[in-house]
Amino acid sequence: MNHIPMRVIASPAVRPAKPTRRALAKQRTREKVLAAARQLFTERGYEGATIRDIAKAAGMSTGAVFASFADKSELFDEILAKDYALLGEAMQDAAKSGATVCEALSNLFGVAYRFHMKQLPLLQAGIASSWTRSDAGEQRNREALKPVMSLISDTLIAGVERGELSPKADLRLVSGIIWDVYLAGYRHAVFDSWSADDLTSRLSDQINLILAGVRS
Amino acid sequence: MGVREDQKAATRAKVVTAARDLFNEIGYDETTIRAIADRAGVSVGSVFTTFSSKADVLSQVMADRVGLLQDELTRVLPYLRGSTTDRICSIFAIHYDFECRRVKLFLAHIAASFSPSLEETTIPFGQNATFKNMLLDVLCEGVARGDVRPDADLDTVLEVLMASYSYNYRLAAQEDANAEQMTQRMERQTAIILDGVKPSLKGTASAI
Repeated sequence: MNHIPMRVIASPAVRPAKPTRRALAKQRTREKVLAAARQLFTERGYEGATIRDIAKAAGMSTGAVFASFADKSELFDEILAKDYALLGEAMQDAAKSGATVCEALSNLFGVAYRFHMKQLPLLQAGIASSWTRSDAGEQRNREALKPVMSLISDTLIAGVERGELSPKADLRLVSGIIWDVYLAGYRHAVFDSWSADDLTSRLSDQINLILAGVRS
Repeated sequence: MGVREDQKAATRAKVVTAARDLFNEIGYDETTIRAIADRAGVSVGSVFTTFSSKADVLSQVMADRVGLLQDELTRVLPYLRGSTTDRICSIFAIHYDFECRRVKLFLAHIAASFSPSLEETTIPFGQNATFKNMLLDVLCEGVARGDVRPDADLDTVLEVLMASYSYNYRLAAQEDANAEQMTQRMERQTAIILDGVKPSLKGTASAI
């Protein structure tokens, strides 16, 4: 938390003070830890990377790490959340560029595949840990994914409005199936060395099939 | 020599049973080889003569279970009735019912199959050929029966069904869902997926 000195808050006409040196130092620590953690999670997966190793790689004590993060899962989730924030923005643009609902969805997932292919082990670690996440972790993950999930459902709603999809369609369920199939695709990247384009093309066929079941 | 082999087999069986129970009771990561050895009533050393690692133990626990599930499915298969959707749902229902008996164990298996250090002997989750072939057979019969369009891409249908089936286990992980709840969701998903490949009323090809 940044501690802004009280005297500054007392005079609102003054522009916000620069963060204190302490706050800046804390921010730097945080970033060092996140960078080291990202590297180790990528190399060793979630279980393989320990707080001790992360602290060592960041050049600090485990105590210093715990001052910024309650536990390893919080640290991991923050890394994933940062990625989702970046991804969400890129996907927004892609979603607008499709003439049909299928195209729009393929485009936005194409962005996601390309994004994650650059750091596949981290994604793998993310999927692996999702099966044994705590409730708190689950909450954090849901929050982080909200913008992406909204984008998918907005795209489907637009499909209904355009008359491509039936208004009676259970869009939430359809959205869920598409998301599951998108995630399942990564197996081919990990085990069969598929490229992002391969995955996107395959997903496009799968989306076409799913939406065929809810066309108007 | 025969005695040695018998002993080894007995140790293996004890370790597999102990591990299966511990992974399900307290979780895979929380379970140590020591704990498994203690529960099995054998030494840590003797565990390592049969298994190379904890991941190896997990993969052998799961391999043993596959046979049991297969038996249940084979028994039930001749009795499947109804539309293609019904039959597909029945197959998934049996899987959910079986795996939910030891759900924590199954979730550990899923998580392990995404691990960067996958044991070679592990059947990664979702790669069970017998399971997939069984579904494919039902889909093919569906074409013969007129439930499924002849030009449907059955491999794609299978992929989409399998992805939905697999990720429904997240409901067990996150919301403590039981087999029945997961089966109900799978039924709704299967209905949409197979609606996408049912023959159109006029008998003409659809948008795909």
